[in-house]
Parts: sequence; C-alpha cells; structure tokens
Amino acid sequence: MEKKLKKLLQNATRVAPKISKKGELFELRNGLVSPYPQTRKDAIKKTIQQMTLGKDVSSLFPDILKNIAASDVEQKKLVYLYVMNYAETHPELCILAVNTFVSDAQDTNPLVRCMAIRTMSMIRVDKILEYVEIPLRKTLQDENPYVRKTAVICVAKLFALNKELCQELGVLEDLISALEDSNPMVVANTIAALSDIYESDPTVVQLPLLIQKHVSQFLLALNECTEWARIVILGALAEYTARDSIEAEEIIDRVTPHLQHVNAAVVLASIKVLIKNLPLIQANAESPIFSKISSALVSLMSTPPEMQYVALRNIRIILQKYPQLLTRELRIFYVKFNDPLYVKLEKIDILVRLVDPSNLKQCTLLVAELKEYALEFEPEFVSRAILALSQLAVKYSETKFVRKVLDIIVELCKTRDSFQDDCLVAMCNLLRHTGSGEEDMVAQVCSLAQAWGSVDSLLQTDYAKCNYIWLLGQFPARFNNIQQKIHNFLDSFTQEESLTQISLLITVVRLHTSLPGSLLQELLNLATTSTNEVDVRDMAIMYWRCLSLEGSNDDLINQLCNSSLPEIATTLDTFSPELLETLLRELSLLSSVYYKPVATMTKFNANRNDSLKGKHLDELKFMARDEIIKNMNEDHLLDFDDDSNSAINASAANGSTLNDLNDLFDFTPAQQASPEQRPVEESMHKLSLHKNEPSQEHSKSSNTQDLLDLF
Amino acid sequence: MTSCIYFCDNKGKTILSRRYRDDIPPSAIEKFPSLLLEAEHESSIIPPCLTHNGIQYLFIQHNDIYILTMSSSLSVNVAQVFSFLYKLVDVLAEYVKAVEEESIRDNFVIIYELLDEMMDYGVPQITETKMLKQYITQKSFKLIKSAKKSKNVVRPPSELTKSVSWRPEGIVYKKNEAFLDVVESINMLISANGQVLRSEILGKVKVKSHLSGMPDLKLGLNDKGIFTSGDSGSKAEANPSKKANIELEDLKFHQCVRLSKFENEKIITFIPPDGDFELMNYRLSLPIKPLIWCDTKIQVHSQSRIEIHCRAKAQIKKKSTANNVEILIPVPEDADSPKFRYSHGSLKYVPEKSAILWRIKSFNGGKEYSFAAQLGLPSMTDADVPRVKRPIQVKFQIPYFTTSGIQVRYLKVHEPKLQYQSYPWVRYITESGDDYTIRTA
Repeated sequence: MEKKLKKLLQNATRVAPKISKKGELFELRNGLVSPYPQTRKDAIKKTIQQMTLGKDVSSLFPDILKNIAASDVEQKKLVYLYVMNYAETHPELCILAVNTFVSDAQDTNPLVRCMAIRTMSMIRVDKILEYVEIPLRKTLQDENPYVRKTAVICVAKLFALNKELCQELGVLEDLISALEDSNPMVVANTIAALSDIYESDPTVVQLPLLIQKHVSQFLLALNECTEWARIVILGALAEYTARDSIEAEEIIDRVTPHLQHVNAAVVLASIKVLIKNLPLIQANAESPIFSKISSALVSLMSTPPEMQYVALRNIRIILQKYPQLLTRELRIFYVKFNDPLYVKLEKIDILVRLVDPSNLKQCTLLVAELKEYALEFEPEFVSRAILALSQLAVKYSETKFVRKVLDIIVELCKTRDSFQDDCLVAMCNLLRHTGSGEEDMVAQVCSLAQAWGSVDSLLQTDYAKCNYIWLLGQFPARFNNIQQKIHNFLDSFTQEESLTQISLLITVVRLHTSLPGSLLQELLNLATTSTNEVDVRDMAIMYWRCLSLEGSNDDLINQLCNSSLPEIATTLDTFSPELLETLLRELSLLSSVYYKPVATMTKFNANRNDSLKGKHLDELKFMARDEIIKNMNEDHLLDFDDDSNSAINASAANGSTLNDLNDLFDFTPAQQASPEQRPVEESMHKLSLHKNEPSQEHSKSSNTQDLLDLF
Repeated sequence: MTSCIYFCDNKGKTILSRRYRDDIPPSAIEKFPSLLLEAEHESSIIPPCLTHNGIQYLFIQHNDIYILTMSSSLSVNVAQVFSFLYKLVDVLAEYVKAVEEESIRDNFVIIYELLDEMMDYGVPQITETKMLKQYITQKSFKLIKSAKKSKNVVRPPSELTKSVSWRPEGIVYKKNEAFLDVVESINMLISANGQVLRSEILGKVKVKSHLSGMPDLKLGLNDKGIFTSGDSGSKAEANPSKKANIELEDLKFHQCVRLSKFENEKIITFIPPDGDFELMNYRLSLPIKPLIWCDTKIQVHSQSRIEIHCRAKAQIKKKSTANNVEILIPVPEDADSPKFRYSHGSLKYVPEKSAILWRIKSFNGGKEYSFAAQLGLPSMTDADVPRVKRPIQVKFQIPYFTTSGIQVRYLKVHEPKLQYQSYPWVRYITESGDDYTIRTA
C-alpha cells in the first residue's frame, strides 16, 4: 500500500519551474532530466511551446530524446512532434534517434508504429533512409489498415527524398500491389502516393495503366470510404477514358449518387468524372444527367465563399462546353448583399453568360438587376455591373433593347461620378454593335461626351480615353471645337499610354482633311520621335509614308480614312477549343481557377538542401555534435537580449545552411562524373538562378558574424 | 497536394504551423503578410488564392485568423483544400470551442496532434470528430486519468478504416432517444415595391442521436421523390394527401447516408454518428411571399433632416409567432439626433452601422406594427459624396413551422442486436437566412 502511494506520489509530483538567472533553456533542460515523469512531460510541452513560438530549442535534442522510450503514448507523441519539427532543419540530429525509430516501428501499438515510420521517412539523411527499408516493408504488410494507409504514403515521401534508393528497395512494387488492398482507405492513399510519384517522374510508374486496370475496383470502393478518399478515387477516375459507351454509362451510373454528398469537393470531383464521360454516351439535352449536374452545381452556391469562388470559376468553363446547362437557374447567381467582392464579380460574369438571349423576359429582369448593382458603392463592383450591362445588350442584340440599356447607362453616367470611364466604354461598345445607322443613339452619346469639360483629366484609364478619341473620329460632325479637344490630348501625348496614342494617330489621320495640317504634322512628329512604343512608332511611320506619297493615291487614303470597323457581335471572351478541353480535364484543380493549364506553369523548384546526401555516419554524428555545441553557445547569447533572439536564431539557421552550401561546393568537383550527383548539381544551378536568395543569406550570416563579434 | 498548414493572425503573422512536405522553403510564409497588403492596396478584391514566385497561397478566414495552405503546383485540388480547411475549423471547434488566435495559442499541443492525424503528406485522412475523440483526447481530461490509462493504452479504434468509419462500437445509453431538428433558413431579395426578386429555402435536418449499439435508421419524409414507405408507393399516388408532398431539390447527405441506396430506391437509410450531426440539407427555390414584410418610406430633405416611416407586417398564420424580429434600416452616415415614435418593440439608432435597429421580441401572425423616425442631417454636405444604397436587413425566427411544408413522417430505428425501444423527437423552425433583404427605393 505504502509502495503504491509512493509510486503515485512520484508519478504525480510536479516540480514548479524556477526562475533562474541561467535562462529558460537551462530550466527546460533541468525539467527534461527530472526524476519525476510528470515534470519531464511538462518540460517537453514547454519546449514544444517555445518551438511553436519560433525559438530555436534544438540544443535540447539529446535531452528530449531520452524521453522517447516512455511507455506513455502521449509523451511519445510529444517527443515525435519535436523530432519531426527538427527533422527538416537539423536532419543530422535525428541520427541520434534512429534506433528508437526502428524499435518503435515494431511496437505493439499501431499508433506508435505509424508515428515511427512517418517520422523516419521524412528525414532527409541517407543513412536513416537506409534503416527505413525493413520497417517500411513490414508496415506495408501490417495487419492493421491504419498502419498500412500510413505506410503507403511513406513510400511517396521516400521517393521524394531519394528516388534511387526507393527504386533500389523495390517498395514501389509493394505500393502498386497495395492497389489491390481490401481496405478502401489504403487504396485511396495508394492512389494519392502513386499520383504524387507520377507527377514528379512519369517514367517510374505507369499510373494511367494502373488506373485502367483497377477501374471497377475503384467504383466499388467509392461507396465504402471517407469523403477524402472519395475525392482521391474520383480524381483517378477522371483521368481514365472509358473504352466504350457501355463502360462510360456504368461509370456515370456509379458516380452520379455522389453528387449528393455534403462535401462540396466530392460533388465537384464527381462532376468532373461525369463531364469526362458525357461525350462518350448519347445524352441529349433533356437527359436527366444534365439536370442532376445542374442542380449539383447550383447547390455549390450555398457553400462558403471560397468554395463558391472555385465553383463559379469552374462553372464558367463548363458553361462554354454546355451553354444550356444552367439557363433555368439564373436567379441563383444573383449577387447577395454580403457576398465577398471576389464572389460578386464572378457572379456577374456568370449571369451575363447564362442568360438566354432569346428570352426577353429573362433579359429584362437581368437588366433591372444589373442596374441595381450599378447603384452599389464598391467601385469595382459598379464598374463590372456597367460593363455587364453593355455585354448583355450586345448579347440580346435587338435594337430596342440596346436603346433601353443605353438610356440606363447614360443616366448612370450623369448621376454617378467617377464612373464615366466605364460608362463611356460601355456606350462605345453599344455603338460599335449597332453601327452608325442608329442616329438617335449616336446623338445621345455624342451630346453627353460633348458636354464634358476637360476630358483628359475626367477620364482616367487608357482604354476609356482611347474610346473617347475613337468617338471623335467616328462622328466628328457631332462635336464642336474638335480641333481644341484633340489638341488637349496632343499636349499630354508623351504621358499617355499606347492605346490612347494609337487611337489618337488613327483619328487624326482619318480627319486630316478637316483638321489643320500643323496638327497632323505635330502628331506624326511626336509619334515617331517621342514614344517608346514600337507599335505606335511603326504605325506613325506607315501613315506618314502613305500620306506623303505624291499624286494618285487619293483612293488609298480614302480607303484608309473612311473604312468602318466591322460590327461587334459579342463582348464576352471565350477560351480557345484546346484550352477549353484542357481546362475541363483540370476542373477543381487550381489551374482551372486561374484558367491556366498546369502545363503552362513551371513548377516551383525548391532549393533543396541536398548537401547531406552521401555523407558517412561518423561525419553526420560529428556534425550533430557541432550543431549542438554551436546552438549552446547561442543560448548564452539569447539570455542577454530577448529582442534579438529571433533574429539571431533565424540567421543562425541560415548560417548553418550556408556552411552546408559551402560543403556542397567542396564536394561536387570530385563526384561530377557520377550520375547520381545530378540532383546536387541541379540544385546548385538553381541556386545561381535564384540569386537574390543566397545573397540574402550572405548578408544575414554576415550580420550574425557581426553580432557574434560584438559579444 | 498541399504542402503545409499555417494558422496566421489577422496581419498574416504565423501563430502555429505544420509542414507536411518540404517542396516549399519555410521562408515562403514570410511573404504572406505583404502579399495580403499588396492585394489590399491594389483593389478591394482579395481572392482566396494568391500566387507569388511560383508558390500558391490558398487561405480562408475564420474569426480573427487566416488558415493558410501552400502548394508548389497548379495541380493542387483547390476544392479539396478549401473543403478541408473548413472541416479543420469544424473539428478544432469541437475541441477548443471558438477557433481564434487565443485558443490556438492555448491548445497548440492538441492542435499539432490533430493536424498529424487529419493530414499526412498533404493528403487529408481522418476528419470525423467522433472518431478522433476516441484516441486524441483533451489534455485536461487525460491528466486525471493518466494513472489508469497506462494500462489501457490509446490506440486507433479499429472502426477507423472500416466502412462505418464514423461510429465506434459499444455505445450504451440508458434511454435511447433521437432528436430531429428541421431548420429552414429563408433567403429573400425583395424590391422596394414589394416584388420578390429571388427567394430560396435552405433547409437542414439536424440529428442528435443518443442511441446504443449500431442502430440502422430509416427516415421518412413527405417528399415526392422519397417514398414514405417501400410498399405504399402506389398508394401514396392515389392518396388525397398527395398535395402535401413536396419536392426537395439539391439534397445533400452526411456521409453516413447510403447514397447509392437513395439514388436507386429513394430511401434514406443510415447508421448515425453518435451525438450531434447534420444529416442532410436541401434547397428549394419556390416562389414564396415575404414572411416578414416591411414597407418603408424614406424622405430625405437634403441638408436638414430625413424622415422614415416603416410598416412591418407578419404575413404568417394567425397562430404562429415570429420571435426575435430585428429590422435594420440604413440611414445616411452623417445623420444625427434621432427622434422616434413607435408602439411596439424597441427602437434605437446604431451609429456604427449607420442604421436604425427595430427589435420586436414576439410578432404575432397577421399583426402589423409601424414606427416613424426623424433624423437630422448636417446643413453643410459635400455634394460629391455619392449616395450609397444599402438594403434593409431582416432577421427572425418562427418556431413550429416550416415554409416548405416538409414533414418527418417517421424515423425507424432498428438495432439488430439490442432490439430496444426508441423515441424520436422532432422540432421545426423557420428562420431568416443570411440574406433576407429588402431594397430601398
């Protein structure tokens, strides 16, 4: 009894941390080696807290490590947390823990097995990776699916760290065979791991072939697994092209129920699979599958704004392929008062695309709605609404309708200050659509523009100014004092942007018969000598030549001046067919939000610090010791001044990487011949490309040096 | 795949982070605050994804924090990322109540632990709170039990990777009960002259399950698409009550519902998680008339005063009552010295929102209340300041009533082993959604 009590006391005793002059790290270290378990645990927690705050507590590594062998899983977790954090920045320290990892990987508790294998496969040191082989193989065959699902991911981690080793060990074959696993979660993680490997090196695994082999299995697993696993499996199915319409039909049947999943990402992933397979089956517009997709898309509009944004950007892509899909759901996309601005803008875009140009009632409703938007207060939103009004008018196209919209825009232009730019562009678009035949509309716009005083300061954007000058050139008879108006622009010619400059050039040449010759001369002079825009200069030279040709070139000049632009049929931009197909394949990926296919963007290449590759164990141990000693030195520094802590720590880390870099430079010449060193060379190359980063490190490390010198 | 998860404060400074892959340098996060600033500086459009130097920053905002992930490639599934981040917030909320800067700082250990379980190498893993709680438990709780725990070591529950991954075995309740809440939120946009421009009902069925064992539940609704029972499908057609059946659109189910069974047989069957969860939600876009309508006349006598007359009417059944009605009427920002005349509720001027707030505790169906207000306007005004149009916002709750008319016909509970009696309880409530607005003329 007494023994028991004693034990309890010892277990529960917590020694309160003292405030001592020797600093926090000293206290923590004392706590870590305390004879009382609870005190040790508290100390580990405190250490992790310091770590979270960004302080460098790597010098405590050996003391923390002593606590890893505990039977208390919670404590073990804490230690692993610490180790994982420093695995990245101080991989050499982890060598000290390798034996524990190996033995933990055989623990009876699956949680511990997972932690060990997860941590081990993250440490970027070859020596440790070599120890990985046996535990990894064992855990890949573990009887617990929880462990297996962790192990398959570890293969991808290992591959990212050391491709050669991964192939050598042959774990890739184990990974591929895990696709046959009876547990859907393991299958999903295997797919994720394989896609990751495939993305970094498509030659190693034949992912498309593997997917093809397992399609029916994936379809079965879909109903059995978590939402995240479903997304991964659906993603794999979207990569697969069905052999024939029967198979496509089956895939569609199996995937359709998932449109009703509560997780929006599952819904979008399902839509992607359906859209991929739709062209293969004979589905007419009335087919129920379309109404199902439509209502699934609509349901995405009641998700958080970020998700709505993704959905809206994707809907834009889908709509170009299937324009009829959502025609009946216009009202869903009406802007809500409390939508964030980025959602509002996308909604306006969708509204105009969605509206059925043969449905007058719908179009009229939308005009009223857009007019309301134009009376809101966020400037970007109002601009977009005004543009949308003109887009809608051009889309509906009928003159009476266009006239009505023009009235609205003219009214807006008069009542809302600071939106003249947008209104003018919108009005010019309308005129360009109807052509110059509609006298009353032309008169309306021109009299409005005529009334403006100092146009060059009223209009802000290049595009609006360009439109204004175009207006002058098209309908010179409707403006008084046109010479003065153009002259105002000439005065500021060099400050204008290229669109305005070009437009000015065209207009003055067009009107050269009615304007004094000096004006033309001045402009051509300016445009050939005082602009940096090559296009403007070329155009000016061309005009100059044409105009100065002697004699019988009246025809040419007339042609030049009196040609009229073709009427515009739409002001909505579209994707090219190739881009559209690519984007449809990449739905729900970030690329589909940016409308930039994955292939167009080079992957960000991290400057991987591979310097530790290929070092010997002794050397690593030596480095580990070095590192600790160095950090300990800094501990003392830390106690002096709290403010400079983080700065010193950051630069210390940088300094050490710099050292490693130096090592790297020493290393390479000797081993250049060996092909395995390629990555190192590459990373060196990249370093020289990203010049600013190393130089920063340089300056930082020299700062440290200065600080150290000071002390 | 995502590379890391960062919790940042409202300036973009890191509070806590977990890195899953090393394809992005740790220094990349330092760019985030300035990216945010830049975006803010350029325009007021800040999309939830930013790019810098080939690194993709994807983030959501919650309370006073940003939750951010980064990716090195455009091939990251952004829908999954946002969906996961929101799930993460949900899970954390179950552990720490309010997810905000302070609570994250206070609970970093448990958050690290959760981040480790919920995501591995950028692939989302287990997010079912009911199951996570089985093997990741609050510290405080553990400390008391730690003596006992040493024998009974924490292990991942075996159900975790099975097909019913959301419910542990061996749950026992003395009294087996299930509570159903049918909540409908009404979103509505009404023009100044009373025309409904857009209306939708967002409904959800929330379940609180206090049931033992592994019960199999079957829910019957009066939906046209959902058969109320297997055999009476044809009978229902002939039934005079057919009119009462409604058609729900965009049904979305919790993952415990067997989706293919619903797709093929239109039966909602499921094994529920223990405790609270949202079983399903739906959307209906039928035209509905305003439940709370208010007719507002605003007269602006520029440079002297503004007069507001408002009549509110509860257009609901006589025996129903709307509770906690709040009507927020915008007034110009420079208005002052309010004078009110009103008969019901309480009326006050809220300068920080530039609005008048009219609160009515309980508003009986068919009743009509009104108020008149007058506010002073400064005699000197800057004529160039554009008049900003803001809508009137209305909030309310109506218990014992659903707008769509949806009804729970039955909830059958079948537990094959224990065979107990159970008691389902059903509550209905209609409330205003986050966008119930009336435009001003």
